Amino acid sequence: MTAEERIAELESELARVNEEARRETDAMFAQYQLSQLLASGGTPAELARALAAEVMRLCDALSVSVWLAEADGDAFVLAGQAGDPVGVPTRFESRDGAGAWALGTPGSHLIQVSAERLTGLVGMVRKQDAGLDPDGLRVVKLARHEIAVALGNAQLRNELEVERRELTAIIDGATDVIVQVGRDLRVVRINRAAMAFLGELASDSVGRTCAEVLQCARAGAHGEDACPLAEVLRTGEPIPIRDTTVVGHEGQVVSMVGGYAPIAIGSDEPRATAILRDVSGAKALQELREGFVATVSHELRTPLALVKGYAETLLHLELPESERLHYLERIDQLAERLRGLVTEILDVTHLHADPLVLERVPVQLSSLVARLVGDLEMTGGVERVRVDLPMSLPPVEVDAVRIGQVLENLVRNALKYSPESTTVTIAAEPTGAGWLTVHVEDEGVGVPERERSLVFEPFHRGRNVRESSIPGTGLGLAISRRIVEAHGGRLTLDSRPDGRPGTRVSFNLPVAGGRRRATGTTVPVSATTPGSGTITTRVGS
Amino acid sequence: MRAFDHQDVRAYLYRCASAVKRHQAYLTRLDAALGDGDHGDNLAMGFAAVAEMLTTDTSATPGHLLRRAGYELTASVGGASGPLYGTAFIQAAEAAGAHPTIDADLLGQMLEAAALALARRGRCSVGDKTIQDTLRPAVDAYHAARSSGHAPAACLAAAIHAGARGMRSTRALVAQRGLAIRLGERAIGHLDPGAVSCLLLLRAMVAPARPSTSRRDQHLAGVDA
Repeated sequence: MTAEERIAELESELARVNEEARRETDAMFAQYQLSQLLASGGTPAELARALAAEVMRLCDALSVSVWLAEADGDAFVLAGQAGDPVGVPTRFESRDGAGAWALGTPGSHLIQVSAERLTGLVGMVRKQDAGLDPDGLRVVKLARHEIAVALGNAQLRNELEVERRELTAIIDGATDVIVQVGRDLRVVRINRAAMAFLGELASDSVGRTCAEVLQCARAGAHGEDACPLAEVLRTGEPIPIRDTTVVGHEGQVVSMVGGYAPIAIGSDEPRATAILRDVSGAKALQELREGFVATVSHELRTPLALVKGYAETLLHLELPESERLHYLERIDQLAERLRGLVTEILDVTHLHADPLVLERVPVQLSSLVARLVGDLEMTGGVERVRVDLPMSLPPVEVDAVRIGQVLENLVRNALKYSPESTTVTIAAEPTGAGWLTVHVEDEGVGVPERERSLVFEPFHRGRNVRESSIPGTGLGLAISRRIVEAHGGRLTLDSRPDGRPGTRVSFNLPVAGGRRRATGTTVPVSATTPGSGTITTRVGS
Repeated sequence: MRAFDHQDVRAYLYRCASAVKRHQAYLTRLDAALGDGDHGDNLAMGFAAVAEMLTTDTSATPGHLLRRAGYELTASVGGASGPLYGTAFIQAAEAAGAHPTIDADLLGQMLEAAALALARRGRCSVGDKTIQDTLRPAVDAYHAARSSGHAPAACLAAAIHAGARGMRSTRALVAQRGLAIRLGERAIGHLDPGAVSCLLLLRAMVAPARPSTSRRDQHLAGVDA
C-alpha cells in the first residue's frame, strides 16, 4: 500500500467515523425532541396526534397511527394519526388483529408500547419504494416505555380534569351557600350561589375572615368564640346541622340551617366547609301553619263555645221569652259567623286547587259599589265609606259576583283595620290599554314593608294585626288576589300615595270590549282627582 | 464587500448576542404561544455564553471561531434551539475550514452547509413552521443572487429579504415539528419563534451603518412585538 493509498484509506475511515458520530448525534437529538414532546402534556388525543407526526418524521414514514387499548376489553382504538393513513383501520378488536393487519400490509411496522396504566400500538406505513428510517425506528423503540407512560399520564390527566369539571359544576350549580375556610378562618373557596346570596362582600371574599363575609355576629347568630367553623377546625368533628343567621345581599338578616365539616387535603393544613341553606321561606311557611292553627282554633272554638253555652242555658234554664229570643239570635249570629269562616276556608282551598270559572258580563263598577254600600247599610260601617268614582267610567267585563266579593273583602278589611273615626275611600280610574284600576284606601295601621309580600298568603295575618284583638282569618286578601288574577289583573298593596298613614289596595279590571295587553302585570297607581266629572259621595253623612 | 476575517466574525457574534438580547422577551412571548415559552431566554443565555467565550478567545480563523461558538451554543442552551443553531454554526465552520477569510463564494457554501445540517438534525423542511422556513429561502436567494453576478452585499440583502418573507410565511402554517405540533390548526396565526430568531442572526451579518435607536429593528416591521 502506497502512502497515498494509506492516506486515502485513513480519510475514508475518518469520514465513516464522522458520519457515524453525526448519526448518533442526530439520533440523540431526535430522542431529546421526542422526550420533550412526550413531556409537554395535552390531552390523550393531542399527544397521540403529535406523537404520530413526530414518529412519521423520525421514521420518514408515509403515515403513522397510534391506537390505545380500551380500559375494559382487548380492543385498540385509534387515538391519533399523521400523514396519509389511507386504509389504516381505526379499531382492532385485539392485539392479534393488529398483528394480522401489520403482516398483511407490506412495509408496515407495529410497535407495542406498554406501561402500568396503558398499552398502545404505534403503527407505521412506509413510503412506496422506500424503507423506514432505521435510526428513527430505533429511537421510537427505545422510547416505547416513555411513550406509554406519557400517554397513560395524559389519560389520567384527562380523567382528573373531567372529574374536576364535574365537581366544579356541582358546586357552582348548588343553590346552597358553600364557604370553605382555612385554619385562620379566612375564606379560601366560595361558590357562585354564595356570591349571589351574600352580594358584594362575597365577590372578593377570598382571604377575608368568614365573620366578615357571613356577618353572623351582626345577624345575631354568634360571636367568633362560638363560630361553628372554628369549632369544626378545633375538634375535627363535623356538625351535621345547626341553625344560624347571616346578612344577605340586601342587608337583610336571613335564617339559615348549616352543615359543617372538616376537610384534610393531603398534608395541607386542615380546612372547614360550611354548607348553608336559606330557610327563611320555610320559616315563613311554618309561621303560616301556626297562624292557620291559631286562627282556626280561635275562630272556630270561640263561637262554638258560645253556641254550646247559649244552648245549654236554653236547655236547662227557664228563661223569659225576650231573653230566650236574645239567646237564639246570638246562636244564629254565631252560626252565621261559623258559616262565613267555613265558606272562606272552602273558597280559598277551591280557588287554589281548581281553575276558576268566571261568568263574565259587562257591568258598571258603580253598580257593584252601590250593591256593597247597600249591604254596609245593613251591617254597619257605611257612614265611614267615601265613594270617589269618575262619571265616565267604562263598563268592565267581569264576574260580578266574584268582583263584588273582592270589593267587599277589601272594604271590610279597610273598615276593620282602621280607627272608627277614619274614612275608607273607594276610587277608580281608567289606566289605559283597556284596563280600569280600582283603589281602596284606608287610614289604618298599615302593613309593614317586610310583610307586604306575605299578606296575600292564605292564613297570614300581619304581626301588628295579630297583636291587636281584631278577629280575622287571614283569607280575604288571598281569595281576592286569586279572583283578580283569574280576570287577568293584579292586586297590589302599598302605602297611601299622599304619604298619610294607611294602606292603598289596588286592582285592575278589564274594560268591556277594550283592547288591552294580555296581562295586567303592572297596575299604574295614581291619586284620584276629585272635581268636575267625578261622583264624590260621603255615604250616610 | 471585502472578505470577512476572524475579527469580522467576532463582531458578527457580538451583534448576534446583542440582537437576541434586545428581542429576548419578544421571542419568549412568541414561544409561549406555540411551545414552552423559553426560546428568547434560552438563546439569550446561549449567546451570552458565546460573548463570554469571545473575551478569552484566541482563534486565528473564522472557521475556528465559529466552531467554538457552535459548541458554546450546544452546551449552554437547554432547549432544542441550542443544539440546532450549534449544529448550523459547527457545519458552517466545517465548510470554512482553515481559510483565513470568508469570501462571497465561501459564505454561500457555509450558509448551505448550515441549512443542510439544520434540516438533517431537526428533520425539518420548508413549510414545517421552523427555523428552516427562514434559513432555506435565504440561502437559496443568496445562491441565486450570486449566480446572477450580484455583488456580495446585494447577495446578503437578497438573502435577508427572502428570509424575512419566509419568516412571515410561518404565521399561516400548521406546525409539523416541535412542541407546536400539539396545537394543530391552533398554531395558525402565530409566527414561529425559531424563524424569527434565525432572521435576527441573518440580519446580524450586515454591520449597521449606525446603531439602531428604534425599539424594533426595521426587519421586524409588521411583526407583532
